[in-house]
Amino acid sequence: MPAVLSEPVSSDFPTTVNTSTDGRPDFISIQNFSFFYGAKQALFDISMDIPERQVTAFIGPSGCGKSTLLRNLNRMNELIDGIRHTGDIVIHGHSIYDPLIEVISLRKRVGMVFQKSNPFPKSIYENVVYPLRVAGQKTKTILDETVERSLKGAALWDEVKDRLHESALSLSGGQMQRLCIARAIANRPEILLMDEPCSALDPVATVKVEELIQELKSQFTIVIVTHNMQQATRCSDKTAFFYLGRLVEFADTQKIFANPSNKQTEDYITGRFG
Amino acid sequence: MTRKLPDYANDESRFQTSRSTLFVDRLMTVFIKLGGVLVTTSVLGIFAFILIQIWPLFAPARIEEIKSVQLPQTPFALLGIDEWGALPFLVEPDGRMLTVDGETGEISEKNIDFGTPMKITAATLNKREQKIIVGTDDGRFSIISPNYTSIESDGSQIIKIDPQAEAAIPLGLPNVPIEDIAYGDSGTSKLVVVLQSIDGKPHLSAAVFKRKKTLMGFGKEQRVGTYDPTPLISGRPTKILVPGSGDSVLIITDDGRVHYLAVSENGFELRQTFTPFEDLPDRHIKTAAFIFGDVSISFASNSGANRVFSLYYPKGRDQRAFGLTHRFPDLGTGPTFLISTLRNKAFLLGGGSELSLRYSTTDSIRWQEKMPYNVVNAAISGKYHRLVVLDGTNRLHFFKIHDPHSDSSWKALFSKVWYEGAPEPSWEWQSTGGSDDFEPKYSLVPLIFGTIKGTFYAMMFAIPIALLAALYTSQFLDPCFRSVVKPTMEIMASLPSVVLGFLAAIYIAPLIEDQIPSLLLVAVGLPIMAAITGLVWSRLPIQTRQWIHPGWEWIVFLPLLLGSGWILWSLGPRLEAACFLVTDSSTGLKSADFRAWWPIVTGTGFDQRNSLVVGFMMGFAVIPIIFTIAEDALSNVPTSLITASMACGASRWQTATRIVLPTASSGIFSALMIGLGRAVGETMIVVMATGNTPIMEWNIFSGMRTLSANIAVELSEAPHHSTLYRTLFLGALLLFMLTFAVNTVAEILRHRLRAKFKTV
Ligand SMILES: Nc1ncnc2c1ncn2[C@@H]1O[C@H](COP(=O)(O)OP(=O)(O)OP(=O)(O)O)[C@@H](O)[C@H]1O
Ligand SMILES: [Mg+2]
Repeated sequence: MPAVLSEPVSSDFPTTVNTSTDGRPDFISIQNFSFFYGAKQALFDISMDIPERQVTAFIGPSGCGKSTLLRNLNRMNELIDGIRHTGDIVIHGHSIYDPLIEVISLRKRVGMVFQKSNPFPKSIYENVVYPLRVAGQKTKTILDETVERSLKGAALWDEVKDRLHESALSLSGGQMQRLCIARAIANRPEILLMDEPCSALDPVATVKVEELIQELKSQFTIVIVTHNMQQATRCSDKTAFFYLGRLVEFADTQKIFANPSNKQTEDYITGRFG
Repeated sequence: MTRKLPDYANDESRFQTSRSTLFVDRLMTVFIKLGGVLVTTSVLGIFAFILIQIWPLFAPARIEEIKSVQLPQTPFALLGIDEWGALPFLVEPDGRMLTVDGETGEISEKNIDFGTPMKITAATLNKREQKIIVGTDDGRFSIISPNYTSIESDGSQIIKIDPQAEAAIPLGLPNVPIEDIAYGDSGTSKLVVVLQSIDGKPHLSAAVFKRKKTLMGFGKEQRVGTYDPTPLISGRPTKILVPGSGDSVLIITDDGRVHYLAVSENGFELRQTFTPFEDLPDRHIKTAAFIFGDVSISFASNSGANRVFSLYYPKGRDQRAFGLTHRFPDLGTGPTFLISTLRNKAFLLGGGSELSLRYSTTDSIRWQEKMPYNVVNAAISGKYHRLVVLDGTNRLHFFKIHDPHSDSSWKALFSKVWYEGAPEPSWEWQSTGGSDDFEPKYSLVPLIFGTIKGTFYAMMFAIPIALLAALYTSQFLDPCFRSVVKPTMEIMASLPSVVLGFLAAIYIAPLIEDQIPSLLLVAVGLPIMAAITGLVWSRLPIQTRQWIHPGWEWIVFLPLLLGSGWILWSLGPRLEAACFLVTDSSTGLKSADFRAWWPIVTGTGFDQRNSLVVGFMMGFAVIPIIFTIAEDALSNVPTSLITASMACGASRWQTATRIVLPTASSGIFSALMIGLGRAVGETMIVVMATGNTPIMEWNIFSGMRTLSANIAVELSEAPHHSTLYRTLFLGALLLFMLTFAVNTVAEILRHRLRAKFKTV
């Protein structure tokens, strides 16, 4: 009840802003990370470095732990009971598990689009500005500007610009997903996690989202989970292949698809899996 | 042995639905429909039953003529009837008494034995005492007892009359005919007033008799004085009225004024003069009569206007005076007589061919009809079930009165009514009283008010606690505690309310009574303390907060809040000593006592069993209901929404207030409405924990009487099919409608909310 009346400012996640044009190769550094849902281990000793301002794709068969790892990058898994982890995840030199850091400030830097679209039962407008509202932004012009920018960014603006104050639940499934993308980029996070963002979209919208990813790449570090190999080749710079909770192969996308060094990877991407 | 497998691929039966499936499906459809119809019909049946029970409350009186009997063409000085309405009598001026049998129509005559023969010139009835008082042409008066006897024989009732006259006593001017006579007898004192005139000048004489009350009954009667009140009045007296108490006399004069004289030490004193029809062009009072109870008088003017004046203490005065309390529509013609009943506040006004039965309390005309003859006089039986009317041709008409709920009407039930003795119209509930002439007060407004008041205080207490608890439990508490808290609350919901009521009355009420300042401190201080604790907690460095796992914060807060609550409670007496001082008027000593301070400062009462206790206990009954339903609604908000909100960087509190609460709003609304319904209908707690006083004030330290408690309290005392009985049913119908309305509105709003916040 009274636990979270106001948020302290002191325990924010340290800034990760990089003014130089070069992206840091080890922007997100996952170090010997294992993860458990209760007794069930979902991730086994994963170590990888995700580069800044590039698109990294997670691929792998269903249930291999892609979403689990992705959700750990902004500690969303902590909403589940009985979870446990070992190892560490470091973003720009700061552990996200630092006990002195408010998890809220981490989540403000690491936006997320979920596998299943989950718009709030509010208007389209309110959905998009929600991250700003919880951050205390009240200026109408900023909010309006954000709505337009984010919806354009998510290729939804033209479809909804006349009905911004209608309920978000009146949108189609694909529109809802793009709305969730718009919401995720509204507060300009530095890292954007996308869990199969295109699984509910038609090819046209998928292309739009992929274009969007290409645009966002210049500002954001993007991690995307996908089952679509073409999508991974089209829009990612690096690709990680997971299998049964383990990281099997992690390399430049071109290399993985042209010349996978692992047999399992090859089987998977050529569709001979199973 | 190998079994042959059935050939599924070619088996057509896989496309068929089995007969039993279809049968069960149809059976269940019919069964469920039947159940629905049954439930609906029984609800409608209950509704219809209640409606039938209350319908007579709003029905007018029914009066039917049974028979008529032609009487001899002689003038009559008086018409009267016995309690059973079986044997009306008429007194002829020469002292003969005529009785008419209501069954057979047989007329018989009796001579009243006055000792010496005399001629009756004025007569009046003292209905309560069943006495006839006559004045003679030679200035004397005599009291006649009709001496009714009722004999049961062969299952039928035979009424006999055997009039006995007391010796005539001279009063006023000797040998001058008495024109009007009035009589009142309280048992210990008797007042007889006569009106005579000499040489065209009116002359009034009044005699006061006293009797001592002894152990053996009443002692001998003595005349203590004879007075002439004429000098006290102006105008020419036309009619005199004396109430049954015999302590005053009202003299009506020909200028339309009424002089109210009270018997004093030596004679009379003029208390009040008033003109009932002051504002009308024709002020002349044609006829007037005391209404049963002798506190109100119904006046009828020459032109047929009709008003009732009652004795009451006008605001700021210490002596009772008559004031206009009820106005009635005009009779339409000049009245000839006005008689009251011996059962209730009804009176019958007759004139021309109009007969009008009116009810004083509710200003209502119970019945009015144009007769095919001119009405001259009438009498109503003591049981208010028979009426005899004498017409211009000396025909006596017998009527049956069917008016069991004369005292009930829309006005009586829902409007302000000016009751006898009250200084102004008011909403009152008081169904029974100590005396026969008690005026029942059936206003449902104080009960509706009490219901709203009780519900209000209960909800005021329950809503914040239940909703915050539900929010905390569903959103902030560690799930392992949630599974303990919820069943506990559900057990609380099943506590019988009689136990809660008993606790409230026996334990809580006396406990709270002298600890109000402590309670005040806790009620104000604890939420403030909670807010401060939360604020401090959120400002603490994260290392400190890390010690407590999220969802376990209560381990720190609970002792803290309990501790501060205890401190606040024990500070109560200090607050009392500082703020709630009362000065004893006799000793001048100051003492700290909230119970005495509150009535002095606010002017409203302080009862031990008050709304605070009810609100507290009823809140206890309502909290588990609201909590359980609201908690369910909050917990059922999809996790995907909570996750989405958290991923946007919202805190738990922001997620709870901005996403969870609105999404669960329809469920929370249902919870509130179901809680409200429970509070509205709650009976036992209210019956036991309040004084059940039907008052109309919001004062939290006074009690109330709710509709449901009223039914519980009064039903055992309500005679079958009496007005009270039916009024209780009306209260039940109101409750029914109240809950129905609440539920309907709730359902509509809930649907709106649900449509607005429906999730994917
Ligand atoms: N909340 C949870 N509780 C327990 N086990 C879980 C939970 N979520 C996921 N798991 C398990 O963890 C493993 C990894 O799940 P995850 O959702 O990360 O797979 P995924 O790679 O995203 O699969 P998909 O491609 O089908 O989305 C699975 O075996 C799954 O059963
Ligand atoms: Mg997944």
